[in-house]
Amino acid sequence: MKKVIALMLTVALSMSVLAGCKDSAPKDKKTDVKQEYSTVYSEELTTLNYLVTASENEFAVAANLVDCLVEHDKYGVVKPSLATDWSVSSDGLVWTFNLRKGVKWVDAAGKEYAEVQAQDFVDGMNYVLDKKNNSETANLAYSVLKDAEKFYKGEVTDFTQVGVKAKSPYVLEYTLKAPTPYFLSMLTYVCFMPVNGKFLAETGDKFGTDNKTLLYNGAYLLQTYEPQNSRVLVANDKYWDKTNVFIKKLTYTYNKEAATLSPELFTRGEITDATIPTASIDEWMNDPTKKETVRPIATTFYTFFYAFNFNPKFDVKYQPENWKAAVNNLNFRKSLFNALDKTAAMTTAEPYEPARRLSNTITPKNFIDIKGVDYTALGSLAKTSSTSSFDATKAKDFKTKAMEELKGKVTFPVKVVMPYNTSSSDWTNRAQVIEQQMETLLGKDFIDIIILPYPPTGFLNATRRAGNYSFMECNWGPDYADPQTYTDPFTSESNYSWISLATDYKEANGKGKYENMVNAAKAEILDTSKRYKLFADAEQFLIDQAFVIPYSLGGGGFIASKLDPFTSPYSPFGVSSSKFKGQKIMDKAMNTATYKKGFDAWQKARSEALKVAANKK
Amino acid sequence: MSNTKLNKSIDDIDPLLFDFASYDESRAERAGYSNYSYWQSTFQVFLKNKVAAALLILIIVLVTYTVLQPYLPNQKSPTKIYNNPVTGIQLRNHAPDKEFLFGTNSIGQDLWSRIWSGTRTSLEIGMLVGIWQGLIGITVGCLWGYVRKLDGIITEIYNVLDNIPNTIIMVLLAYILRPSIFTLVFAMCITNWLSMARFVRNQIIIIRDREYNLASRCLGTPIGRIITKNLLPYLVSVIMLQLALAIPMAIGAEVFLTYIGLGLPLNTPSLGNLINEGRVIMMSPSLRYQLIFPAVVLSVITISFYVIGNTFADASDPRNHV
Amino acid sequence: MLIAYISGLCDDLIVFYKDKWGWQQLLKYSLKRLVKSMVTLFIVISVVFLFMRLMPEEGYFGQGYEKLDLVQREAILTNLGLRDPWFVQLGHFYKDLFHGDLGTSITYRPKVAVAEIIESKIFYSLYFGLAALVIALIAGISMGILMARSKNKFWDKLGNGYIVFISAVPAAVYYLFLQLYVTDIFNLPILFNKSNPVSFILPALSMALGPTAGYAMWMRRYMVDELNKDYIKLARAKGLSNKVIMRKHVLRNAFVPMAQYLPASILYTLVGSIYIESLYSIPGTGGLLVDTIQRQDNPIVQALVLIYASVGIISLFLGDMLMASFDPRINLDKQGGIR
Repeated sequence: MKKVIALMLTVALSMSVLAGCKDSAPKDKKTDVKQEYSTVYSEELTTLNYLVTASENEFAVAANLVDCLVEHDKYGVVKPSLATDWSVSSDGLVWTFNLRKGVKWVDAAGKEYAEVQAQDFVDGMNYVLDKKNNSETANLAYSVLKDAEKFYKGEVTDFTQVGVKAKSPYVLEYTLKAPTPYFLSMLTYVCFMPVNGKFLAETGDKFGTDNKTLLYNGAYLLQTYEPQNSRVLVANDKYWDKTNVFIKKLTYTYNKEAATLSPELFTRGEITDATIPTASIDEWMNDPTKKETVRPIATTFYTFFYAFNFNPKFDVKYQPENWKAAVNNLNFRKSLFNALDKTAAMTTAEPYEPARRLSNTITPKNFIDIKGVDYTALGSLAKTSSTSSFDATKAKDFKTKAMEELKGKVTFPVKVVMPYNTSSSDWTNRAQVIEQQMETLLGKDFIDIIILPYPPTGFLNATRRAGNYSFMECNWGPDYADPQTYTDPFTSESNYSWISLATDYKEANGKGKYENMVNAAKAEILDTSKRYKLFADAEQFLIDQAFVIPYSLGGGGFIASKLDPFTSPYSPFGVSSSKFKGQKIMDKAMNTATYKKGFDAWQKARSEALKVAANKK
Repeated sequence: MSNTKLNKSIDDIDPLLFDFASYDESRAERAGYSNYSYWQSTFQVFLKNKVAAALLILIIVLVTYTVLQPYLPNQKSPTKIYNNPVTGIQLRNHAPDKEFLFGTNSIGQDLWSRIWSGTRTSLEIGMLVGIWQGLIGITVGCLWGYVRKLDGIITEIYNVLDNIPNTIIMVLLAYILRPSIFTLVFAMCITNWLSMARFVRNQIIIIRDREYNLASRCLGTPIGRIITKNLLPYLVSVIMLQLALAIPMAIGAEVFLTYIGLGLPLNTPSLGNLINEGRVIMMSPSLRYQLIFPAVVLSVITISFYVIGNTFADASDPRNHV
Repeated sequence: MLIAYISGLCDDLIVFYKDKWGWQQLLKYSLKRLVKSMVTLFIVISVVFLFMRLMPEEGYFGQGYEKLDLVQREAILTNLGLRDPWFVQLGHFYKDLFHGDLGTSITYRPKVAVAEIIESKIFYSLYFGLAALVIALIAGISMGILMARSKNKFWDKLGNGYIVFISAVPAAVYYLFLQLYVTDIFNLPILFNKSNPVSFILPALSMALGPTAGYAMWMRRYMVDELNKDYIKLARAKGLSNKVIMRKHVLRNAFVPMAQYLPASILYTLVGSIYIESLYSIPGTGGLLVDTIQRQDNPIVQALVLIYASVGIISLFLGDMLMASFDPRINLDKQGGIR
């Protein structure tokens, strides 16, 4: 009896579903696709207060709710947003912005609250630099603005001394500590966003705790906000650029198991896009229908590399002194440099076309360019960026040389301590692959890699920052559009790998050669070409002397998505890439072949657009 | 009852069929004797249940095999990664075939040896935790339930320990001692014995004031003897069931801990992390074997212990002895 | 039959309180337990507090930690009150508690009141937990009775098979399995949505499966034990029918050990099931404790531990009371026993 009922139910339901399908067949495919986006996510936001957060997740939401002075278009060219035009003083210290008139702040119900004015940017910066507000992005702001750091530390108590002023309701002026050619790129970061001072004072501590305690001037407003449940964004009717906002509604549903369930939800048509986890990608690629719905995800500008530690502080049983002696030998480092099979390691996370995520330089390709020539193609860096570091013969060569040079000074096999984070199954797998691959290639008589599991709680403090490793995977993300940002992990103040303690590189002024090269590059402020070339040479030195092994870029993987990826605003940092403004939903998901063609076309158009923009200046 | 008269009389009986019995004094002295041995009868009743007996044999074979498996010829190491000799890339996600009896996982490790190694690890953990639970849990539970003076104090200690969330202890231990088999066993031991103690305490409270216990107390029997001779035997059947389930429950707890990220790292395979790995790809038919094999092994172990436990509990109740 | 049984229980409870103990003694015993409970709570909170302070500092910062400099880190930690000595922090917590304030979250949802966060979630967990509990009790106990009655025959074997299957397959696996396949076959929504009443069914049912097996198994065991006792043999010899024996003697006695856990099961429904809530997107309290511990949000952890500890203590107390009420031979207090 029960079976009959179940059967009847199924038949009835399937018939209704089929009937529904027929009715909604679009006649004109292009305009009838419902421009409403929905997805599931597993990382919940902790706050909507964009002035304090440093989380990528929260940036992505803020990008759609509040606009910045400038924004990027789909080729990554800087375009006016809340500022209509700007100029720099001749000494490079004062930047003046003319604001767009008539832009309104609205509340969560869409009602107008006030007009956006220059004072809003001053109020925002005041909030960020006020220590008691716990802003995690304050250091980015005070690294460039005049007297901002002093204000933050409390040495200066009058905020009017800090380098941000509202000259008039629509003219904003920033005064910098030192000439910073890349300042414009920093303005798309959350700490430079405006906030309405009156509203901020009214809501006080509760600012940004839910959608009603926030004001919006961006493309969308947050209509519903229920943490651990869902959030809904709707297009802002009063937006100054509303003709460019095509998707009218964004629905996010929370699910802790989003990674496991979203592919299934996508197949059932309930969501617009779903990232396919590495474990299931084989399944999707082997099924001819499913294969047509996935495309690769672009790589990001997060860079991953393997660092050699010059300041080993691990357990005595792993012989840190032995490691220290070995790592200071150039041939030893080079043998390891050439022995790492990056493709094999990448296959654990990216089984299809692992090569597209690999990188031979620390600074990723397409990050910045000089008049159309990419940074990674400058000077001596060009050859390095196009050659893979994996070379078995060279590795064995260097091994023989190293063993000769270090005979008597170092006991072989050298113990190599490689910690990894157990919460990432990818990393756990990769650690095992690398251990076995390198030991097999170089022989267990040369190195003995010991992989150590560490829990995610306090991981970095227990491993990298404490010097508790020999050889480890590290990562870094850019903060602004200048090669300097990718040198931050290697300065003498950083806690990555203490390159400054390497014994063979001290120069006359007591500092290491790399550090001197970088400082010279940093000092070159006026001539951008020369500056970039000096940085490129420094990076080439870093890689050539095998201080680090550049490994890969972030991002990658596959996604089944109906969003058209080439309509999205694009930029390597800041929040522009997360904006939904300008994006369109297609009637069906894009497949890999179409994506690749589109990507090539996009790259060409981008370099054209960049050249045009550079010539305008 | 028939009404026909039987036409038999004593005179018709053949006297040669009878022998005169003699009187033997020593035999008259012999008191009642029974060759009843509690444990022997328990086992006899147990073995009568064919299913349980079969499963017991299965478990013994399984455990022996997991111990011997690494020493057998042609067995692969559970952590070695197998690469395609031509491309040097890992042999990912190979379906089961002659070379890899259970196939390979996503980085080319042999699932057959991983599952046996994992079973070994999980059984080890389960047994250590189970034995500890049994010893400490029963001892504390008996004292708690029987000795009234201790009832108050131990209840308070129980309340304090029980209410500290296990998760905090696990996260802290994982952070301080770093994930490993020792950490997991240690953490599970110090948190799991509480439920066993409470369970035993409840049972004891129910029977402690029964007449036969009052009688023993009147006679001046010491506490230890009351507990071991009066109370525990009464509770044998329920205690046996709890102990038998301790091992599958320990494995289940391990699966849960792995789910929230506090379990063993992947380079030490165990049933918990093998199942979690496989769970993500449940929807992919070609990869489902990575979930099915460990789940089947886990199910077999759980089912066996459950059935053995239940049957043993039934059998250890003296009223079931013939 | 179950209804008659329950009404019988209620009568017993009333009789128990009237005859056995008298109000005065009950009050005295409860007060004693209450005072002890407060001490316990205090110890538990302090221990948890200390444990949380042992966690590494970088856990308070989330993703941005790498880019923060020392000045910022110190400023943030001081503002969060984490640089005060531990007794000062503990003092703040208790002071706020006496004013009925459970504190404010620091990393989970900064600046939002803890009470607000927990309030919005508790209703969901309670609803599903209670629904699952009721289903499990009814189904489990009935199944256990059925199994004991037809011992070693068809129903017993079937029930055993079900119990074994549920215990053997890990919950995480069959929950996911049910979610994906049942929703596919019956075209139900995968995720929970409070505006869609149909989506309430499957999570509650899935949650009830495990406990049903548990109740059935233990009920059967206790009943089988009872059925073997001599007084049952006597009842049978006297000629009482099976039904009467079951209802008047066996059930009542078999239920006693299970009564201990009943209040705990009810009260613990507010803890929520972490698996079910993760899978079905139910915004309950299930994963809240684990999440907040991993994110090191001390105020929420302390508030949750306070709530759960109180629940635990109350349910132990109620359980003891309930158990004693069923079985007149059990005496919880010191008097009545010799040692």
